[in-house]
Amino acid sequence: MNTHVSTAESAAASANLEVKGLTKRFGGLIAVKDMALNVHAGQILGLIGPNGSGKSTVMKLIMGIERPNAGSVRINGIEVAGWPSHKIARMGAGIVFQHSRPLHRQTVLENIKLALLPDKLTRLFADPHIDDHARAIAARVGLTQVLDRRPATLPFADLRKIEIAKAIARDPKVLLIDEPFAGLTATETEAFSDLICELRDDGRAILLVDHNVKSVARLVDRVLAMYVGERIAEGSAEEVMRDETVRRVYLGGSIETAARPETSFADRTTPFLEVDNVSVFYGKAQALEKVSIHVHAGEFVSVVGLNGAGKTTLFNAISGLLPYTGDIRRQGASLRGQTAATIARNGIVQCPEGRELFTDMTVRENLDLGGQHLPPDESAAQIAGLFELFPILNERQKQAAGTLSGGEQQMLTIARALMMKPKLLILDEPTLGLAPVVLEQISKALEKLRQTTDITVLLGEQNVTFALPHADRVYVLEHARIVWEGEPAKFAAGGGAAYL
Amino acid sequence: MGTLSTTRILLIALGAVILLSFLPLGVSGYVLGLLTIAYYFGVFAMAWDLLFGFAGEVNFGPTFLIGTGAYTAGILDNLYQPPIFVCVAAGALAAVLGGVVLALPALRVRGPYFGLTTLVAVLMLQNFIVVDASLTGGEIGLTVPDVITISDATNYWIALWFMAISGAILFALSRSPVGLILQASGQDAVQAGALGFNVTKHKLAAFIISAFFSGLAGAMLVFYLGSASVGTLVDITVGVQIIIAAVLGGRRTILGAVLGAIFLIAMSEALRPLGDLSNFVVFAMALVVVLLFPSGFFGLLTRSKEPS
Amino acid sequence: MLFWQILVDGFAISSLYALGAMGFALIFGVSGVLNLSHGALMVAAVVAAWAAGNDLHAGPYSGAAIGVAVGFAATLLTYFVVVRPLQQTRKIREEEKEIFILTATLLWGIMIQELIAYLYTNNAKTVAPIVNGVISIAGVRTPQNEIFTAVVCWLAIGVLWLLVNRTRAGKAVLAASMNPRGVTLLGIELSQVYIVVWAIYGVLVGIAGVLLGMFLGVSSYSVGPLTASAFSIVVLGGLGSVSGALIAAYIVGYLETITAYLISPAYRTIPALLLLVVVMYVSPRGLLGRR
Repeated sequence: MNTHVSTAESAAASANLEVKGLTKRFGGLIAVKDMALNVHAGQILGLIGPNGSGKSTVMKLIMGIERPNAGSVRINGIEVAGWPSHKIARMGAGIVFQHSRPLHRQTVLENIKLALLPDKLTRLFADPHIDDHARAIAARVGLTQVLDRRPATLPFADLRKIEIAKAIARDPKVLLIDEPFAGLTATETEAFSDLICELRDDGRAILLVDHNVKSVARLVDRVLAMYVGERIAEGSAEEVMRDETVRRVYLGGSIETAARPETSFADRTTPFLEVDNVSVFYGKAQALEKVSIHVHAGEFVSVVGLNGAGKTTLFNAISGLLPYTGDIRRQGASLRGQTAATIARNGIVQCPEGRELFTDMTVRENLDLGGQHLPPDESAAQIAGLFELFPILNERQKQAAGTLSGGEQQMLTIARALMMKPKLLILDEPTLGLAPVVLEQISKALEKLRQTTDITVLLGEQNVTFALPHADRVYVLEHARIVWEGEPAKFAAGGGAAYL
Repeated sequence: MGTLSTTRILLIALGAVILLSFLPLGVSGYVLGLLTIAYYFGVFAMAWDLLFGFAGEVNFGPTFLIGTGAYTAGILDNLYQPPIFVCVAAGALAAVLGGVVLALPALRVRGPYFGLTTLVAVLMLQNFIVVDASLTGGEIGLTVPDVITISDATNYWIALWFMAISGAILFALSRSPVGLILQASGQDAVQAGALGFNVTKHKLAAFIISAFFSGLAGAMLVFYLGSASVGTLVDITVGVQIIIAAVLGGRRTILGAVLGAIFLIAMSEALRPLGDLSNFVVFAMALVVVLLFPSGFFGLLTRSKEPS
Repeated sequence: MLFWQILVDGFAISSLYALGAMGFALIFGVSGVLNLSHGALMVAAVVAAWAAGNDLHAGPYSGAAIGVAVGFAATLLTYFVVVRPLQQTRKIREEEKEIFILTATLLWGIMIQELIAYLYTNNAKTVAPIVNGVISIAGVRTPQNEIFTAVVCWLAIGVLWLLVNRTRAGKAVLAASMNPRGVTLLGIELSQVYIVVWAIYGVLVGIAGVLLGMFLGVSSYSVGPLTASAFSIVVLGGLGSVSGALIAAYIVGYLETITAYLISPAYRTIPALLLLVVVMYVSPRGLLGRR
């Protein structure tokens, strides 16, 4: 099983995986538009894109988990677009999902044997050589020691190995891998990279999906970059990282900054918010690893990181929505033990990534709910002020929140949070999916806030053009760790390298 | 399911069944009668557990399948008096057909809608039986001219070994490769599909098997009791008792359902001196078990280390 | 003549169904719980009112008040003893909690049913109506009690609407039914919202129960059918939609009344069931469903 396919041969042979004109709509939203890619045997193609770019949807379309609206998917020359996933799997495709999903009541060996079973109702006794076959596969991925244990007792990396074992069990010619290194340590990432290279050398066509070019650069033969459902660049890893469009879209262009030095803030010794050595686990995966940041009263701090880096986890820990180890302090006093609602009422208010608006209620009602801790006249005054900040909300007062455009909804989310007169406003990816014109408006509103009030802001963004201009200080969060801290002016030189 | 292997469990169960076979030698006809009903009840509960463990959804109307089987057998006997085994076979077949008809809408929906579909099925069957009284005996019930036998001991043995064989088949199924595929289909349909399994086909199969055993047991019960009625075989309360038996015994264990069934019937008897309060106490105990010991008797017995 | 009779009778019974079903929908929409002990709670309210009249010789007003109070208390008990512990336990996987709560509320309902049967037998009971006598509407002799029932139901529905749409607490409840996470982020404790919702539900159940007792009477056997009827109405209207439940209740109520008058009382529940089957095949989300 070790035939190395030379590049000349693979170029001549037809691709194992051919995708053309692939399109998927969810209601009015176009998730994937006219996608085309080819992966030949013995090749790894990296599909790169930020959150919302559509890369996971492309994988699901190829595997038959979602039905495409248009387009063609050929596996080993056979058209499979629109087939149910079990038929595509039997055609010779395998998928490693981003989140491990083993059967919890079965042992590792049984989980792998499942992948080897035929799709028949009549088998009451397992084929004897399935057992040997399963053990061979387990040996290949490095699971021999834990064959008789149950998934709940295993470390995270082993769970990922089970997923790979299941996917390669029936020797697929096409292998789809979703975010292979998320949650792994550096050593484990190396081991996995080697395994994936071996699988490639077997002559398979591998499609690797990730949001970070750097982590897959040494592994892939070619990279295809996506943004908002469309392909924006293709080539070698270096070529794509240098590509103009990619850099603009992922990194932003040249940026003006307006930072105030850290020493200018009054609470030097005890910052308003201190996050101290905080770690968060989702099951086995480490979402935050000993993260420490601080924010002074009146400061504007941006946390920059691609999605999956841990920004939302960090903010949810601060807001009291997640369990964590370590400490989070507000003005010196620990927040541990307070309910999420209490933390919000006391002035740390979050605008989450999902906005969490009350979609069937009007704009006005949403704002009223934000102000329901205030006496009615104060609440009305607050709303008046916010209508000045976001005039479009005044126009759309009586409209249901669900009918607003994306940008208007984001403004409403921010306005609703401001109704609570927060001391610290947390903004999680406010620019996600918004058009540049709308970003301008929100940017201006933030600027006005920053100048006219002493509000403290903690912003999490992957869009650097938005994150840097207002910030006094910047952190870079990557793969659950803080990897850089400094002034926004120094970001391009220092932090930017860590970022792309 | 704990650390006992399939063969060991089957051997222990076989031993228990053989022991139980000796009961008629020393025990009164009344107790034998109770146990007979408990054994049929156990089959109902096992069939339910198969569906729940694999479709992964709560079927609130196991009595739809049971009632269909029972009444078909009973009505057939009343009308044409064919040999008993023909009636019983017809009952099982009718239940299978009913299972297929139920599966079609039920499998297309998830969550509370699945439960509701099964509930509606029971209500419709109940209504049909009550309304069509000339054929079905309506609310009063149906009597059949034949019974299997009058001997308590024989009935007991038939029920015991019927339960044992059904249990062995269902249990072996749950532990077989097919059972593994069914479990995957119920637990994670997307993953099962991505691994190459036709989930709909397998869930439909689970429905049919569950329907077959439910209908078969229901039909046999009719020829033990000599009668069938809405209150004993179709009513939602009966369905609830079946679910409780399976949950008490331990979900997804198949054999645990039998323990649950025997417990429920034994408890009802033991509490008989309390009069009408006995039912209350039984259900209260069941509630306590659900709240405090979600993994049921089987879970307690095998001390499985995973969360339930 | 017949037309008016159907119109009036149907209106009364539909209003009654509506009150109970709206409470059921509210609980599901906000708390995510399908309370299968719904029927038992209503019957408990009725029997309490009856017992107050029978044993304590209370007048119709105080008897009704006691009935509503008992319904309210039983509902809150359901939340604190059965639902909340299960929602908060760590012993059960999240995905399985819904099933356990369903089973537990079902058990709880049957327990209440058996307790009632034990304490007061399973004979039918009616509660002395507050309003007696008969008046003529368009030539139809209608018990004033029916009109009273419809009026009280709509008063309660009106108060509910005002509560939810005009008070701060009510709006918080409405918001929680749309987005629980959003409510927490605005500094409102969800645990308090849940208690408020169950309290509202308790009052609705108590009133609906007592009115039912005055109108038709119940027995411990009514528990199952009452729960099933509320469940069906709520699914028809769309799970989680309180206004959908209102509309569906009228559809079901009138279907039943028309069937009872024009075909036979024995068949009254069948058309509604058939409609439910059709709706589930064609549009499982119901008429106005959100979830």
